[in-house]
Amino acid sequence: MNAKANVNKVWKVISKQKAVVAILVLMVMMLFFDTTFYTAYNWLDMLRSTAILEIVAFGVTVAVICGGCDLSCGGTLCLGGIIAVMMVNSGIPIPIAILVALLSGAVVGFINGFLVVHQKTEPFIITLGMGMLLKGICQQLTDAHPLTCKSKGFMQISNMKFFGAVPSLVVYMVILFVIFYCLMRFTSFGRNCYAIGGNYEVAKYSGIKVVPIKWAAFVISGVVSTLAGVLLSSRMNTGSSVYGDTTGMLVNCGVVIGGTSFAGGVGGMIESFIGLFVIQLLTNCMNQLGVDSYYQRLCEGILIVVIIGSDCFGRKLKRERV
Amino acid sequence: MTKTKTNPYLEFLKQNLVLCGIVVLIIVTAIAEPKFLGTSNLNNVLRQLGPLPFAALGMTFVIIGGFIDLSIVGIISLVGVITIGLVDPLGQVGALLAGILLGAFLGWLNGLVLTTCGAMTQAEVLFITYGMSSIYTALALIYTGSETLRISRSEKSISIFTTLGSTNIGIIPVVLVVFVIVLILMHLFHRKTIWGRAIALMGGNKDAAYLAGFNMKRTMRLAYAINGTMSALASIALLSRVTTATATSGANYETNAILCVVVGGTTLKGGKGSVLRTMLGVVLITLLGNCMNMLNLSTYMQTVMRGAVLVIAIWLDNRKEL
Repeated sequence: MNAKANVNKVWKVISKQKAVVAILVLMVMMLFFDTTFYTAYNWLDMLRSTAILEIVAFGVTVAVICGGCDLSCGGTLCLGGIIAVMMVNSGIPIPIAILVALLSGAVVGFINGFLVVHQKTEPFIITLGMGMLLKGICQQLTDAHPLTCKSKGFMQISNMKFFGAVPSLVVYMVILFVIFYCLMRFTSFGRNCYAIGGNYEVAKYSGIKVVPIKWAAFVISGVVSTLAGVLLSSRMNTGSSVYGDTTGMLVNCGVVIGGTSFAGGVGGMIESFIGLFVIQLLTNCMNQLGVDSYYQRLCEGILIVVIIGSDCFGRKLKRERV
Repeated sequence: MTKTKTNPYLEFLKQNLVLCGIVVLIIVTAIAEPKFLGTSNLNNVLRQLGPLPFAALGMTFVIIGGFIDLSIVGIISLVGVITIGLVDPLGQVGALLAGILLGAFLGWLNGLVLTTCGAMTQAEVLFITYGMSSIYTALALIYTGSETLRISRSEKSISIFTTLGSTNIGIIPVVLVVFVIVLILMHLFHRKTIWGRAIALMGGNKDAAYLAGFNMKRTMRLAYAINGTMSALASIALLSRVTTATATSGANYETNAILCVVVGGTTLKGGKGSVLRTMLGVVLITLLGNCMNMLNLSTYMQTVMRGAVLVIAIWLDNRKEL
């Protein structure tokens, strides 16, 4: 009897932490192959390549916890990078250029917030449209050519190493992670976000200023996306309108895979980090094993369908039980 | 807003915003660029209509049902390459039928996955269909090895495809005639048959539809299967016109199809809308592209314009209900 209860308990934990299970499975699987998977270099590299997406995800998670969603982050990312590169190229000091880029993200987030929160439109489709619009603007700005940055200092931002080995992108990611973790955990803003996502009406009648807070969540998402865009442009030393083509969907999928629900109110930064890390880990494992890139894409699609599908399935079982 | 309610002209304008938009667009462009009304341009516009109306037609059913489908990118790509691949072994008629059946099957598969998972909200549907789309695209990539398939290379007769692609009856392309027939059939299906009404009812109120005795899961699968079939037709129209198919030839069709449906006035909340309204949306979007070409605006600005139209259309649509 006890055994059965234990099995049930284990099953519950597994179904709640699908992403962690996926990571464990992949890591165990890699033990059986003779690759460079278990080396410090590989793990640092993995963290570095996933850093940009993780940073975008931190911002998007805030919006998702509030019961929103931000699919425009791909376009915002692209725009931020291009604006920063253009300004640096025209001789404006780097800090100011970055600040202006972040401001553009704030404007995009503000518009998203206005349409979604103030005018109560469906966030998915509005932000999808916004992403398309931003993509067009980026193409127009760059004439669809990649823009090379002429400043060495700008390139240094993402390409230097701390302590001789740790890539700066990883450091930025950790710093932002801590900031956002504290923001959502220990401030009234963060708690209010969870309340709004959990039940909008209840939060409203409890005296939480729902509209400004949810609005602010979209602005945060926009700003963080542009920050990631600046870092990506610095890493590549170019601003290009092809960045961020799949970022919007991938990041939002990753956030959901981690366990932050689109219904809002649950999840957090750790979950989002894990969710996106799974995708990166899968890619890395398949690269290590020399899997064809088309099959990689297939596996990625299957991963998304299976994890989000089983998430829905769990909710369906819950609904039917009630 | 309250004052204008008594004004019959404004009321008419509000009801037929798309129609008015089309008329204004035509007049403005005709004044700015008289060539716009010439026969050659008219021919061009009719030709440009090509595959998009089919995709939008299918999408209408899914959206009326209260859902959304991002997987048509994958379906269009996969059906296109498989159809070309089958021309040699099966002959053109067989390939055509196989392509359409494949589309219907892929659409049905989407519906099956969604109903098995119990995906009910638009967010869940959006991400699962996105995952399915990357699976289909990956399959298409694996099938072609990312090569461009050319229909003219096949050894058997391809007269159906060339007829569809480049023959006109008068000034009307054959593909448009086919489309009008499909449109009429679909309109009758939506208005007159019990299944068509069931889809609309599902979008309006799922519980009511369930209590009225409709099998919701089957209805949902039906809506997706229709979308799949229409995407297959769109794919065939596309490959007949450009005579090639690649594993990414379906790119951007999902947003454009959603755009046409929403601009036409079918609400994303489901339940309301008609296939004829969607056609107005298609005409508006196609004309918009053509007008911008005539006025020598860059293609990038067209992307911006489309995004803006999508965002504004949803916003206005939402305001109507506030």
